[in-house]
Amino acid sequence: MGATVAPGKILKDLAELWVSTAKAADGGAGVLRACSMTLLVLAEASEDSQGLGETIAALMPEHPARAIVVRMSGPGERSLTERVYSQCWMPFGQRKQICCEQVEITVSDAALADLPSVVLPLAVPDLPLILWCRSPRLAAMPEFLPIAAMAQKVIVDSGTMADPAAALNLLAVLSARGVLLGDLSWTRLTRWREMLAQVFENQQYLAQLGKTSDVKLERGEAFAVSALYMTAWLTGCLADSGVHASCSLGPAPEGVSVRVQLAGEGLAVELARSEDRMVVTVNGVSQCTNLSQPTDYLLMREELGIVRRDPVFERALTRAASLALPVETK
Amino acid sequence: MPIQNPFQDPLRFERRVPECAVVIFGANGDLTRRKLIPALYRLAYDRRLAAGFAIVGISRTPMTDDAFREKMLEAVKQFSEDTTFDADVWSGFAQGLFYVAGDIADPALYESLGRKLAQIEASQHTGGNVLFYLSTQPSQYAQAAQGLGAAGLGKGNGRRRLVVEKPFGHDLESARELSGRLHESFDESEVYRIDHYLGKETVQNILAFRFGNGIFEPLWNRRYVNNVQITGAESIGVEGRGAYYQEAGALDDMIQNHLLQVMATIAMEPSASFRASSVRDERSKLLRSIRPMTPDEVRRNTVPGQYGPARIGGQDVPGFRQEQGVDPQSQTNTYAAVTLFVDNWRWAGVPFYLRTGKRLAKRVTEIAIQFNPAPLHIFDQDGLDSAPNLLIVRIQPEEGISLKFLSKRPGSGMTLRPVSMDFNYGSSFGERSPSAYETLLLDAIIGDATLYTRQDMVEASWSVVEPIQNVWRETTFDYPNYESGTWGPAASDEMLARCGHAWRKP
Repeated sequence: MGATVAPGKILKDLAELWVSTAKAADGGAGVLRACSMTLLVLAEASEDSQGLGETIAALMPEHPARAIVVRMSGPGERSLTERVYSQCWMPFGQRKQICCEQVEITVSDAALADLPSVVLPLAVPDLPLILWCRSPRLAAMPEFLPIAAMAQKVIVDSGTMADPAAALNLLAVLSARGVLLGDLSWTRLTRWREMLAQVFENQQYLAQLGKTSDVKLERGEAFAVSALYMTAWLTGCLADSGVHASCSLGPAPEGVSVRVQLAGEGLAVELARSEDRMVVTVNGVSQCTNLSQPTDYLLMREELGIVRRDPVFERALTRAASLALPVETK
Repeated sequence: MPIQNPFQDPLRFERRVPECAVVIFGANGDLTRRKLIPALYRLAYDRRLAAGFAIVGISRTPMTDDAFREKMLEAVKQFSEDTTFDADVWSGFAQGLFYVAGDIADPALYESLGRKLAQIEASQHTGGNVLFYLSTQPSQYAQAAQGLGAAGLGKGNGRRRLVVEKPFGHDLESARELSGRLHESFDESEVYRIDHYLGKETVQNILAFRFGNGIFEPLWNRRYVNNVQITGAESIGVEGRGAYYQEAGALDDMIQNHLLQVMATIAMEPSASFRASSVRDERSKLLRSIRPMTPDEVRRNTVPGQYGPARIGGQDVPGFRQEQGVDPQSQTNTYAAVTLFVDNWRWAGVPFYLRTGKRLAKRVTEIAIQFNPAPLHIFDQDGLDSAPNLLIVRIQPEEGISLKFLSKRPGSGMTLRPVSMDFNYGSSFGERSPSAYETLLLDAIIGDATLYTRQDMVEASWSVVEPIQNVWRETTFDYPNYESGTWGPAASDEMLARCGHAWRKP
């Protein structure tokens, strides 16, 4: 295993890859190169590489990128290796293939500090660099901050981390420093929040919102951080409207991932999600909609579409971080 | 009491959709089954509709709500092209489907509808918002609007809007008359004239392309643009709609509305904002700037056509006059090509060539903007170095944008060859594009009229087309003048050749 990686060699390999890919294309139709960002993915070497590869491949048509996948091999002697390859697809009814380039770097923990010097020259000029940190342990390591400093946006999933409360607090600190962040535990709530917002597009229900007296949140085991975010967001929105309802957070019944209930005089709203269904019930009238499980692909698709400040998330994060410590230390 | 929805998150959420009842006149018709209901179902599938949502179908055939639901279920299963059928989503959607039978001319229909809407407002929480969609024979538009007005349904607790399908009249006078009659019951701001071309993603993308980027707009004028070609070609014939088509023809059916709207979008001045009124003002100004033709100019600058029989792909296809329901001596144009000039500082002298036709070589809708050649030819080989730069905006199929330019062929010599830089909408953004009807229905429910046609735009379009109609009507043409499966009459090529141009073969 080598101990160094030369970015210049990787760039040369990438250029040669384009030539060979174009030559190999059927019928001389050539390939189209598409790129809208550099996507830096940090994952554990033990993670299912095929699954991750499929997720990145699925993202490419909508967010074509130079993907740099860094696989962390863990403790051991200092090592860095690389390979380059392309990811191509043939759009329906088209003759030309669309291709994106990928670089895979394997790095031991001891060599993590060298990573910024390798990644920076590989980033596509004039386009944003997005860091997707899939490794729960990296966020707690000192090498994380210099790596994060290279990126226009950092995406994590605080729900997968060993200490979610600490993770939320770290994110809140980063956010306060002006780092653009995404947290997939928050992204999982988008369609939820949207459905709730949609209910109150009705002026009659909006008029009743002021009479909300109770907010009840129930969540499945896997949704602890998301439930914190939901509570933070919901109570924040209500407080903005001058509504101060009592709020309770508890476990959800079997088969239900998250359930939100708002109750008050003349108003009973419930959003319950199970499997790939969302049932919204407002004053006894129910509507069922298709809501596919938010895979990593769907969550990342949304996050990659937002490379700018997200004030609603930042506010919910600050509130969730302040809620997290007392809840987790109970 | 909150006056604004505190839960909105514009960065991540789709657009806000208010609760609404959609009333479809002509619920038994093809458009309802093929386009409207599948589009509304898809919006429900994508969670784009408000919880308070209902559809009321109206036609003459007596039917129960359940029978209507069954019929629409079949329509959704048959015509939802890229939407998985989901029984649970359908079940919720079907609960909001209702039906009222009656004759559009009968005041009793509107009384029944009024009662039904009151029930729906109470049970489905639609907030009194109603979108009336006229998917009937054009001759019934005014009658339906007046019936709604007389029954007091044009106003209510919520917002009332009226969607009208084309044709908006058959000439300037009839368009004005129709608008006048619609305005007896609905304000112009409540009338949504639908042109489904404007709902297509690429047509909207023209605005993004022109006004979201700084590099193209400086080139978008008579100094750099040599000519513009707008093509709306169909490979099929009239497909059993001969009787209807005989009354319309290619000029009225396509150029008066779709292609002139596309032209207005490609040539309009930048609007001050993306508000509906600003964008529509600029489109309207452009349409009013198109130079109306004198009869002599019509003879020089327009070409009508009608397809004759041919053998395509080993199969005999009939000519227009052999189609079912068509007069064997018909003078209807199934092809129309026109050269238009825009009298403003930006476009003075630049020809805009518009053509449309049935049974042409392939189905394609595109805009080709041909730029002036380089002023000096320093690589003079076979004339290749003078090949013009072309910017092509493809509307269908394969929506996208291509830029053609010259590049040096690899090797030691200085040989140039044209290359294409392609942006394919479908492959660059892997997401499914909403259908034009999904986009436009949602816009109408929300109250965004940007992509709808306004009365002054309709009248401006007729002002362009009417002089052509007048000359064509009083002329007997030697039809058929093009074979099915070709790119149209030779006279059309000659029209461009006279200006030193040639039609692109898309």
